Amino acid sequence: MEMKTVFNNIKGDRLIWALVALLAIFSFLPVYSASSNLAYVTGSGNTFTFFIKHFIHLLMGFGIMYGVHKFPYRYFRGLSLIMLPLVIVLLIITMIQGTTIDGANASRWIRIPIVGVSFQTSTFASVVLMVYVARYLSKIKDEKVSFKETILPLWFPVFLVLMLILPSNFSTTAIIFSMVLVLTFLGGYPIRYLAAIVGAGLIGFIMFVLVAKAFPDAMPNRVDTWISRIENFSDNADTKEDYQIEKAKIAIASGGIKGVGPGKSIQKNFLPQSSSDFIFAIIIEEYGMIGGLFLLLMYMFLLFRIVIVAQKSDSVFGKLLVLGVGIPIIFQALINMAVAVELFPVTGQTLPFVSSGGTSIWMSCLAIGIILSVSAKREELKQKESNDLDEDLEDNPLEVLSEAM
Amino acid sequence: MAVQEKGILNRLYFVAGCMFIFGIAVVFKLFSIQFIQGDKYREMADKRDIKEMVIPANRGNVYSSNGNLLATSIPKYDIRFDALASSNKNFEKHIKGLSDSLSVYFGKPSSYYTQKLRKERKNKSRYLLLARNIGYSQYLRFRSFPLLNLGAYKGGLIVEQSTKREYPLGVVAQRTIGYERKDEAGNVTRPGIDGAFGESYLKGKDGLRLKQKIGKGQWKPIVDYDHVEPVDGYDVYTTIDVNIQDIAHHALLEQLEYYEAEHGCVVVMDVKTGEIKAIANLGRTSTNTYYEKLNYAVGESHEPGSSFKLMALMVALEDKKIDTSTIVDTGRGKKHFYGRYITDSKTGGYGKISAARALEVSSNIGLATLIDDAYADNPQQFIDKLKSWHLNERLGVAIKGEGKPDIPQPGDKKWSRNALPSIAYGYNLRLTPLQTLAFYNAIANNGKMVKPRFIKEVKEHSKSIEKFDEMILVDQIASKETLDKIHEILKNTVERGTGSSLYSKYFSMAGKTGTTRVEYWKDGWEENPKYISSFTGYFPAENPKYSCIVVIHEPKVKKGFYGADVSGPVFKKVAQKIFTDTPIKEEIKSLNAETVQLTKDYNSYNDKARTYITIMPSVVGLPVMDAVALLENMGLKVVFNKTGRVKSQSISKGIKVKANQTIELEVS
Repeated sequence: MEMKTVFNNIKGDRLIWALVALLAIFSFLPVYSASSNLAYVTGSGNTFTFFIKHFIHLLMGFGIMYGVHKFPYRYFRGLSLIMLPLVIVLLIITMIQGTTIDGANASRWIRIPIVGVSFQTSTFASVVLMVYVARYLSKIKDEKVSFKETILPLWFPVFLVLMLILPSNFSTTAIIFSMVLVLTFLGGYPIRYLAAIVGAGLIGFIMFVLVAKAFPDAMPNRVDTWISRIENFSDNADTKEDYQIEKAKIAIASGGIKGVGPGKSIQKNFLPQSSSDFIFAIIIEEYGMIGGLFLLLMYMFLLFRIVIVAQKSDSVFGKLLVLGVGIPIIFQALINMAVAVELFPVTGQTLPFVSSGGTSIWMSCLAIGIILSVSAKREELKQKESNDLDEDLEDNPLEVLSEAM
Repeated sequence: MAVQEKGILNRLYFVAGCMFIFGIAVVFKLFSIQFIQGDKYREMADKRDIKEMVIPANRGNVYSSNGNLLATSIPKYDIRFDALASSNKNFEKHIKGLSDSLSVYFGKPSSYYTQKLRKERKNKSRYLLLARNIGYSQYLRFRSFPLLNLGAYKGGLIVEQSTKREYPLGVVAQRTIGYERKDEAGNVTRPGIDGAFGESYLKGKDGLRLKQKIGKGQWKPIVDYDHVEPVDGYDVYTTIDVNIQDIAHHALLEQLEYYEAEHGCVVVMDVKTGEIKAIANLGRTSTNTYYEKLNYAVGESHEPGSSFKLMALMVALEDKKIDTSTIVDTGRGKKHFYGRYITDSKTGGYGKISAARALEVSSNIGLATLIDDAYADNPQQFIDKLKSWHLNERLGVAIKGEGKPDIPQPGDKKWSRNALPSIAYGYNLRLTPLQTLAFYNAIANNGKMVKPRFIKEVKEHSKSIEKFDEMILVDQIASKETLDKIHEILKNTVERGTGSSLYSKYFSMAGKTGTTRVEYWKDGWEENPKYISSFTGYFPAENPKYSCIVVIHEPKVKKGFYGADVSGPVFKKVAQKIFTDTPIKEEIKSLNAETVQLTKDYNSYNDKARTYITIMPSVVGLPVMDAVALLENMGLKVVFNKTGRVKSQSISKGIKVKANQTIELEVS
């Protein structure tokens, strides 16, 4: 009965639901396996706490997803306007607070006071920003706008958010920026304007680097880290990143076609972030090429469904909203995999729904929730049409079941 | 608007296509890593992350013949402290408790440790030594100290375990029990029994276990069984008897200390089996104390001196060149031999004596003359006889470093006309104490020469792996006739010869003294003479059970240097102490007769105690203590003058008595 009410109440693209659920269920295997090293080295010796933690993260994620998808998507328009200033405040707090993770000065995290969990504000900011951009693009869809006109309502908030994230997290900034560019491109924003923006972005970034180099005390560590990461990707000197990549490649090579089997990864013991940033390497080590391709296929399938939802959405805002929050998920997944196979420099992006870590799971679920909300609206419309035609009962088998009960 | 939506979709297909290509690129790269670079990375994985760890086998124990532990391996622990490992909170919370615990353990004040720990934390010390080489129970205690009980990561406890060889007897027989030691260059020294049987029995076989690196320098086993199981070493049961060893050790030590000697050794051997029951070797340190420095008994060959006269005489007796009654003229204590003089220790000489007497009094001239007369024209015959007893060969004992004997023969560089008479009284040749003892043991064993041995049995727990029996070197060294004569002479040596000071009527022993000059060829020997004093023999004189040799090098000449004075007492003490266990002569009269009397007394006491409560009994004839007990139980006061049996009593039998009445007893 309970299950049925749940199934009854879920709306939107069932395949997206299924794909996300499948990814989440699958994630337990590599996360649990990879956490064994963490449990051993930190000395707690209990791997089960990591399992429970991951379970709770996913449960909360699905809660968020369910809640959000019940929300009519048209409200996100206004909500993004309210949330954006809030996000900027949060980012400023985060920057000032400067929580240290793993000894590096990474002001990426904020502690939520009541719940007591750490939270990466930039990820949340990214979702809010994309919704905001989608809203703006849909608003101007019928107008012919000049470049100047778009600066204040569109690019000012975008650059403000990016500048607040940049000092602590270059790769996330770059990804958000590219995603904004992709979204504006999709939204029909003139390409020549985009070129100007990319130029402005580059100049801004170079300025930032120069400032950071001139006053090293103001931004310790970070700039040097990026420079070394990028240099390192192109040269052959041995660094920490090389070590990670080498271990990741060893993991991939040891996996072979079928993998060494669940829990039997060896490299999980050496790969830092084996349960988050490098989880793809561990998945291939344990489940082989088969597991890796399966995972990639799942994300591609998810992309396909997102495209379908976008296609079927009745409004421009709906389309842009779905793409604005959906494409970054797939993009992030691809980046994560690309890092593991040395196609991309080490960035520290998680694998959505699979990697451990609350923020990543929650924000991906938030995004999927938004997509499902758009998809649910479409269903609603169809339903309405069907109701008019008195054909609704055949159309939805779950509906039939609920009626029968 | 419709156009706009179409535009979005077209662009979307472009973006999605790009992402798809990105995905393809990932797959391509994945294949490339697995199939093109695959071998290289797989090899790296194996090499770096898997290794075979050696699981050391437990080394077997060394036991005495009666099962006392002589050497065993036990784990020892070094405790160190990583002052940076603990969080500030934990450090502050527990530093007081830890300091208190350390203070109780080591005895220094708690504040000293608080200060030290804080200093080390400030200095970022991650390897502070707290205790070295502690046992398991102490290690457990450390582990329970505040802060340290949080473990390695939270508390900073570092434990390093090693296996140490322990010797429950301490210095006693240390050199013979032995050990195995590796120096930094990898050279192994293996003295003693532990060394000799280490490789073959004690060592066991190390196991192997495949381990995988799990980061931070830690390794975990890949599978839950050992790749190669370690096989523990066998236990070696030696022939050493802890009691006899103890007697020998302390008797020797006492004598060395008294005579301030350079070094000495005692070996006690079981006559029938050749088992070494005790072997003590003590050398002087720079601070004039003694410890088991070297295995002199096995390793040091030297001129045996007078103890070799026995062998010389036996050769002549066996070859029937002489008889014990053959008279030899020792003259006035100084005789000319091929350009040099041989002297006797008795001023004025022994005159004309029998060959047997010559040995009893240890006459150098006597033996030199007898042998020279008999063999001067064919010295090889004499030497060949010695060789037939294997005296020129090593015994081949298991302990490493056995000294090589040296007996020259005609044709050798060392040989001269004087060699033969010199050998006759124990010079110009070299033997180790153990080799000399083995020969004397053969005499005690009625001619059967057995090899001295240190090992009795090899066991795996209680299961016997290998047992060792006596090994015969020479079936019969001499005829029974000769042996009987030699037995008589050796017995007489103690009864009336050079060893007469050792004679005891309570237990019999037979043996030969030896007083050997050492380094006599050096200038200034006359002013600063040096001797080796020895006593070799067996006990009891009839049906001997043990043979024993005592050799003491360079005793203080002022205090004495004769074999009978310096080494003899050690021999006697060993014999005496062993025979307090198995006396030959019963000193105490039969205990049974006493028991009969006692029972009778006891019965009559009981009868009287039961019969007489208020009427005076006759206590005449009772032991006085019984009478007192009896009478005092009746409430009487007893006066008596001495102990013994009661002769008369002041109150006659049958008279009614009252409490507190006094009675006088007259005791015979």
